[in-house]
Amino acid sequence: MDNEKFHHIILSLKDNLYRLALSIVHDKAEAEDIVQDVFLKLWSKKDEWDTINNAEAYCYRSTKNLALDRLSSRAIRKTESIDPQLEGHSFIDSETPHLQFIRKEERAIIYRCIDELSQNQRLVFQLREIEGLSYSNISSVLDISEDLVKVTLFRARKKMKELLEKYNDKRT
Amino acid sequence: MIKEHEHIRFLLNKYWNCETSVEEEKKLQDFFSQGDIPEDLQPYIPLFRDYKESQYSIRLDNNFDKKLKAAIHQKEKAKQYITIRIFTPVLKIAASIAILITLGVGVYFFVNENRKPYFAETYNDPKAALKDATHALEKLSEALRKGEQASKETFDKLKNLNIDWAAIDSMGRDMEQEMEMEMEVEGDTDVDKDRETHVNRNL
Repeated sequence: MDNEKFHHIILSLKDNLYRLALSIVHDKAEAEDIVQDVFLKLWSKKDEWDTINNAEAYCYRSTKNLALDRLSSRAIRKTESIDPQLEGHSFIDSETPHLQFIRKEERAIIYRCIDELSQNQRLVFQLREIEGLSYSNISSVLDISEDLVKVTLFRARKKMKELLEKYNDKRT
Repeated sequence: MIKEHEHIRFLLNKYWNCETSVEEEKKLQDFFSQGDIPEDLQPYIPLFRDYKESQYSIRLDNNFDKKLKAAIHQKEKAKQYITIRIFTPVLKIAASIAILITLGVGVYFFVNENRKPYFAETYNDPKAALKDATHALEKLSEALRKGEQASKETFDKLKNLNIDWAAIDSMGRDMEQEMEMEMEVEGDTDVDKDRETHVNRNL
């Protein structure tokens, strides 16, 4: 892996790693700090680059580990969930206020559902749904077997389905 | 349209069972992102559309690359001094020890210098020392003997000369008297001269 590849990885992965870190620590500044630390660590291991066969999984794993470390080091502090209204920047302005309200509602619902998942379920769910990683990649990122990845994802999706249907019933 | 909905329902079923590929999941996402969604599928809109939309909108701000570059630069710089920084506590200890040793050695030599005996032992073998000392003393005594002999000879010679010391003494006395007399005679002639000048004046 040369400098060019390093920059390529940074450019292609920085936002993905940031999202993953943010989903764990729920703090923008801290998440950014974590991503920077991951890249700095990767940079300082220049000599070992050739031995890293899956740079993408390596970066995800480092980010996850660092984020969980930070989370446990400030475990006393109560973690807050992401405010979906603050996180959602991609609204289209032409939408009517009513539609905007519904969308915000729906967004709030999905994050409320995700909050119901366990830490591992959330991680697998995030890596699969948002980052689109293969099962084998998820297993190497989380250091668990592929079967366990599938089982965890199955339970997460099942739970999401139930929760979403429950919210839908409430609304109607 | 209905066929497409059928397909989506089929994919969705696969999705719940974790049997979909990443590509098939992308298809589901694309389907839920467009407007026309049948009522029975609407509860899943938040999962396939809103969650992803909001997540993909999460991006690092544009300054991140600059910050990272600066951080890497700083790290490279710090690397050069890292060895010094690692050894700083060791260096401090080493410096303290060096100062202590210097002081200690200084004090040791200073004290030693004062305590040093003026006559230092130069011989390791006492026999050799004795031999040299005897030799030196013999030489000294020989020299002394020679000197004694020489002075004895001189005295003997002087005795053998048979000088009449009394005569020499009286000779000295006579010479002194003679000199005194001479001085007196000179004084008389001076008086005569004065008298002469006196006579001339009267004339």
